[in-house]
Amino acid sequence: MSQFDRHSGCPFHRRTDRSQSALSQSDTSTPAHRERRRFLKGAGLTGLGLGLGGIGLGGTCPARALAATGHGQDVTSAPQEQDSQLRYPFYGHHQQGIVTPRPATGMLVAFDVLARDRDDLERLLKILTERMAFLTQGGNIPERNPLFPPPDSGILGPVVAPDGLTMTLAVGDSLFDQRFGLAGARPKRLQRMEGFPNDALDAARCHGDLALQICANTLDTGYHALRDIIKNTPGLLMVRWKQEGTVPLLPPAPGDSDGSARNFLGFRDGSANPDGSDDALMDELVWVGGDHDEPAWARGGSYLAARIIRNFVERWDRTPLQEQEMIFGRRKMSGAPLSKDGAEGKEQDVPDYTRDPEGEITPLDAHIRLANPRTLATEKNRILRRPFNYSNGVEANGQLDMGLLFLCFQADLEAGFITVQHRLDGEPLEEYIKPVGGGYFFVLPGARDANDFLGSGLLAASA
Amino acid sequence: MKTTRQWIATGAFALLPLAPFTALITAPAAQAAVAPEALVAPVADYKLYVLDNLEQLVSHTRDFTAAIQAGDVEKAQALYAPTRVYYERIEPIAELFADLDASIDAREDDYEKGVADPDFTGFHRLEYALFHDHSTDGMDKYAQGLMDDVNDLDSRVQGLTFPPETVVGGAAALMEEVAATKVSGEEDRYSRTDLWDFQGNVDGAREIFELFKPLAAQEDAGFVERVQTNFDDVEETLADYRLDADDPSAGFESYDEVSDADRRALTGPVTVLAEDLSTLRGLLGLN
Repeated sequence: MSQFDRHSGCPFHRRTDRSQSALSQSDTSTPAHRERRRFLKGAGLTGLGLGLGGIGLGGTCPARALAATGHGQDVTSAPQEQDSQLRYPFYGHHQQGIVTPRPATGMLVAFDVLARDRDDLERLLKILTERMAFLTQGGNIPERNPLFPPPDSGILGPVVAPDGLTMTLAVGDSLFDQRFGLAGARPKRLQRMEGFPNDALDAARCHGDLALQICANTLDTGYHALRDIIKNTPGLLMVRWKQEGTVPLLPPAPGDSDGSARNFLGFRDGSANPDGSDDALMDELVWVGGDHDEPAWARGGSYLAARIIRNFVERWDRTPLQEQEMIFGRRKMSGAPLSKDGAEGKEQDVPDYTRDPEGEITPLDAHIRLANPRTLATEKNRILRRPFNYSNGVEANGQLDMGLLFLCFQADLEAGFITVQHRLDGEPLEEYIKPVGGGYFFVLPGARDANDFLGSGLLAASA
Repeated sequence: MKTTRQWIATGAFALLPLAPFTALITAPAAQAAVAPEALVAPVADYKLYVLDNLEQLVSHTRDFTAAIQAGDVEKAQALYAPTRVYYERIEPIAELFADLDASIDAREDDYEKGVADPDFTGFHRLEYALFHDHSTDGMDKYAQGLMDDVNDLDSRVQGLTFPPETVVGGAAALMEEVAATKVSGEEDRYSRTDLWDFQGNVDGAREIFELFKPLAAQEDAGFVERVQTNFDDVEETLADYRLDADDPSAGFESYDEVSDADRRALTGPVTVLAEDLSTLRGLLGLN
């Protein structure tokens, strides 16, 4: 089941109550509110919720409310957004932004670390932790004598709303070189991403000493966070590459079968994702724990595999639907696995490959079959995908440069992404996709509290 | 009609009383403005620095353009970088004259038609001829144009009143210049003499910093120490690429020789300098 399979009744809002304990202060976390929203949703009245609940009520729909009141109809009026108070806790055993429900936008920013020694690196990690703690919780921006440059870019105004922002810090293999004396504490499976046969990696969009995943309801919130980080770390960090993306918002659907979001090939993406709300499953597949043969400091962390995967969308759009569906192994509109008689199933249906050993229903090289063969032996290869669609502009040939910012998390990089990608090598889908960038990173364990900082365990373990 | 730049250039801002504006400030740590008369000496000294460099620019440009007009490619190539340095040092002032800055120092990227654009003139047009075409054919008019523009700049600056804001802000402007176009190595893409320009910008920024350092130190000694350290860092890295450690006029290796690690090593202190120097005006209580 996807973590993106449900949302609130408004197309602008993801339902937030599936984040379990993750939600700290949003109004949407109160049972009373959930009840009210169910009522509203059931009554088909979510669009009128503004008048009932006021600002901060997650289930209201600004667009419809505005249309009804005639407010804000100037072309350049700032669009209003109601989930701006959605706030995820920053401190904890794990970092946020992994099992947190995926919001509408996300970006991955890779950095070169310019710090010259361990002291500078520690200073950097403390600054990052402090800024992330502020940005993800929100608050007033500081004022400063106007003869000086302002300390905040101001692009979100005087009050920074949390806006569902999560920031997730990860370290790359290159951070463990000779510069900082960290080599002895390297997570065992952390490595430099090697090109796979179908890759055409662009060096300018690969690897990095650090990676920061920034996700939020709106891209502006992410850009604000990134500029804050850059402003506060001069001489310590240099942006190496960045890729942002979005997730299409789904219109409200009856019941709970909203389905996974679609990628730019038009297929639902995330159907077979392990359930991010299943703590035991996450401990097995996503979070490094005592059983994972990793340094003790790494417990609570996770491996991030990031890939910038160009989609050749014009060519794809000239491919027969039936062929597209055979390539993926799913029906395009419903997301259901292919079935014997062509009967329409549901996205959540589990394909039974044991009854299709020759691939007469689902081709043996269909994407979903290679990625997850659904055998006992391949259970441990499952990964938690959290991708975003990207669109960057136009290639010299006039074709759109768009594709997938593929992000996935796993407790074991080799058993996870690397194994899965090797199974996919040579798949028919390769004709329509081209991985051009990315990297492997290790997401640091969370910061316990305001006295801790991200990476404190790593530094202590390598002291 | 006056542009903001012209307002600043004429020093009009300096005449505005500070009091009503500072009264609006609600944040703490408003700096005590440095007494205006304290700025007179360093600003005057800076004008002398600029005029000295302009004199050098005029005479070096004369030799450089003469070599082109004589068809001596090799000599003109050798004179290209050492001539530009004087312009790069005084860019905060030179840029006040946008028309001349465009005709003297614009790059092909500034024009839709690139190298073929008839408006593309100045140093970088000649750079393209010398280092890409290895020829001075047809360059006579561009050489003459550059000489005329440089003479024009010289006479305009002679009569210019230097506003303190522009002078002090110039240190940050130069480091922004370095951060934006020097570290990337895009300024002198054909001659690969970027390190000359790099050093020129740093020289110009440091000169301003040194002139105002005593005043800044009264406000924030830690700031002064940090800026000095970062200037030293940058110059130390640059020095590694000098062709002759004892003879600055020998210049630098090609920017192609600068390692990725050193480009990153330069980016760190350059960015810190850009951040720190962006507060120098505020520190001295200037608009």
